[in-house]
Amino acid sequence: MDFSIDSEQKALRDAVRELAARRAPQHGEGDVPVGPAPHDPDTWSALAEVGALGLPFAEDAGGLGASAVEVSLVATELGHAGVQTAYADALVAGSVLAAASSDLLSSLVDGSALVVPALAEPGRGWSLASSSVHASGSGDSWTLTGSKGPVPYADAATHLVVPAAADGGLALFLVEAPSFADGIATFDGSAATQLVGPADGATALAAAVNLGIIAVCSEALGAMDAASTMTFDYLKTRKQFGVPLMTFQTLTQRAADMYVSLELARSTTLFAAMAIADDPGDSATASRAKVVVGQSGRHIGQEAIQLHGGIGMTAEYAVGHFTTRLTAIERTYGDTRQHLASLASSLSDHDQVDVLA
Amino acid sequence: MQHRLSPDDAAFQQKMREFFTSKVPQDLRDRWAAGGEPDPDDIRTAQRILNAEGLAVPHWPVEYGGSDWSMLQRHIYLQEMQAASVPPPLAFNANMVGPVIAAFGSTEQKDRFLPPTANLDIWWCQGFSEPDAGSDLASLRTTAVRDGDEWVVNGQKTWTTLGQHADWIFALVRTDPDAPKKQMGISFLLIEMSTPGVDIRPIQLIDGGHEVNEVFFDNVRVPADQLVGEVNKGWDYAKFLLGNERVGVAPVGSIKRKLAEAKEHAGSVQTDTGTLLDDPLLAARIAELEAQVMALELTVLRVAANSREGKPDPASSTLKLRGSQLQQDVLELIVDIAGPAGLAWGDDSWTGLAAPTYLNFRKASIYGGSNEVQRQVISSGILGLKG
Repeated sequence: MDFSIDSEQKALRDAVRELAARRAPQHGEGDVPVGPAPHDPDTWSALAEVGALGLPFAEDAGGLGASAVEVSLVATELGHAGVQTAYADALVAGSVLAAASSDLLSSLVDGSALVVPALAEPGRGWSLASSSVHASGSGDSWTLTGSKGPVPYADAATHLVVPAAADGGLALFLVEAPSFADGIATFDGSAATQLVGPADGATALAAAVNLGIIAVCSEALGAMDAASTMTFDYLKTRKQFGVPLMTFQTLTQRAADMYVSLELARSTTLFAAMAIADDPGDSATASRAKVVVGQSGRHIGQEAIQLHGGIGMTAEYAVGHFTTRLTAIERTYGDTRQHLASLASSLSDHDQVDVLA
Repeated sequence: MQHRLSPDDAAFQQKMREFFTSKVPQDLRDRWAAGGEPDPDDIRTAQRILNAEGLAVPHWPVEYGGSDWSMLQRHIYLQEMQAASVPPPLAFNANMVGPVIAAFGSTEQKDRFLPPTANLDIWWCQGFSEPDAGSDLASLRTTAVRDGDEWVVNGQKTWTTLGQHADWIFALVRTDPDAPKKQMGISFLLIEMSTPGVDIRPIQLIDGGHEVNEVFFDNVRVPADQLVGEVNKGWDYAKFLLGNERVGVAPVGSIKRKLAEAKEHAGSVQTDTGTLLDDPLLAARIAELEAQVMALELTVLRVAANSREGKPDPASSTLKLRGSQLQQDVLELIVDIAGPAGLAWGDDSWTGLAAPTYLNFRKASIYGGSNEVQRQVISSGILGLKG
């Protein structure tokens, strides 16, 4: 058991830290956009240049042969700087392309194609087990019917990876130049290429989403770290009643609880990255990490705003943006409820959770 | 980064598991696992079995029976011990007074006290808290006045855990009432419980058990060579001891064992539609606790890796805080699983013990520095928030 990173990993982290600092949104001036950020081609090519997009994929498939641990380091830096990108989505899509030995992976890795997964469905709770989109066809000729959405970065995506119900189970398809309305992709007998057949679709999708979970948990870790640090600094400097806020014990006690949530989320995220690097199909560990990070993010985000007071509510101040992102992340790749439900249904599989096994 | 155990550590884990499950008698471990009032003979027996194998006081200096283990190995040792329901070496001996004597005691004191302390031939209790000095330990008032070759002790200690079984008490006493700061002027004194003038009275707790006591000192004469280290430096030794106390303070192995038991219990309680384990609300609570306990254990491991030379990482307050919360959450879960059966107290079945155990462990967030004190340590010591 070793949580330390080696010099190569440090170099990667430092490069992304610098990139993220340059690409970070500037708060405090003029009208500040709120909510989900649009795709930024410059940030995307910068990420491609440092090799971030190919990290977890094998070298012979056009990747860098690193792992989920390196993905985690990159995403943490992006989250810490508040840089919103399609990073996790592209890795989920890339993982499916890699499973399918698709030539498109190299275009994803060099940043020339933006491939994202279309997983959520209008009017349905999160599920990786079934899809209301149906596939029909065979061989090289497939069509999809149904709709997916909301799909993040839909307007900028060159391709979609779409899970759809096919004969024999869930299969994974590639759709080129998808058409959207309000972030919803509607397939009306649309042409698609099968990437992974129904025999392996569910397994490939689970592994892909586990990688995405590592990426978003790590991004959340960075965001929680930044929001916490801002809050602790604010308590030291902001004066009320003629004294710094940290004079009030009710505030420092709550700050201590934020720190505890942060550190537990950190341990869990790092461990989950190592576990997924080792076994991409370890969905139980991914779910536990998603639950811990989801709950920590909710706690830290809410407290960061509360301890800042009114300033935390303003668009010109960064802390609310971190909370916005944490709120989105808790609902990405399955929310806390869904992951708990999935863990709850498999309680009898084990006596205790053994992290040293 | 590496999330598997190295082959050496895996072998170490296997060795510990084998030892605890095969050398410590099953009936003793069953009694400990059931909970309720501990049997002092079981505690003695277990500690002597461990000591014979060199496993009672691994964090002492090697020359006094310690082991040169990594922090990870210490975690594995504790984890396996708790998983096998082996009573841990008495904390007052192994984690508190032993390390203080080893670090600050005279050679004579080391030779006289350390071997019987390791083997539980002396049962120690802790004389720190007083009625007006709980978390604010520095306010203690019990005095020791030098008279020739002796100290004369007067005052009262309280919350003295398992003091009714103790042979000796290690006490903080005020030796200089005029010291400029209240932390100064305190000394660390070893007192035999059978000395004339020492009186111990039980405090009954809400679980019905007799776990803690008041100890009164009325002109108790203590030989001067039973003062540890220097006069008026007792506060430093107490801080050293309390730092040690927080190492391994998150009882992860016990929490995990209790949570596994909770699942077993839930599977045994019938409902209209199956068992409680099939109840979505309860199952989600268990799943959530499993995730949170995993996060705690991983943090223990991460802190362990950062601790050097046995110096506790300040983040250990995190472990005390979260460990006590989760310990309480799991015991609360078990009372909830017991449901109506938990209304009946008094037998040693899991349902009979559920409510008293839940009530007993409300102490976990109070003792060893209350959770509010731990938050204070985190906010001022780690975050730099100083009011």
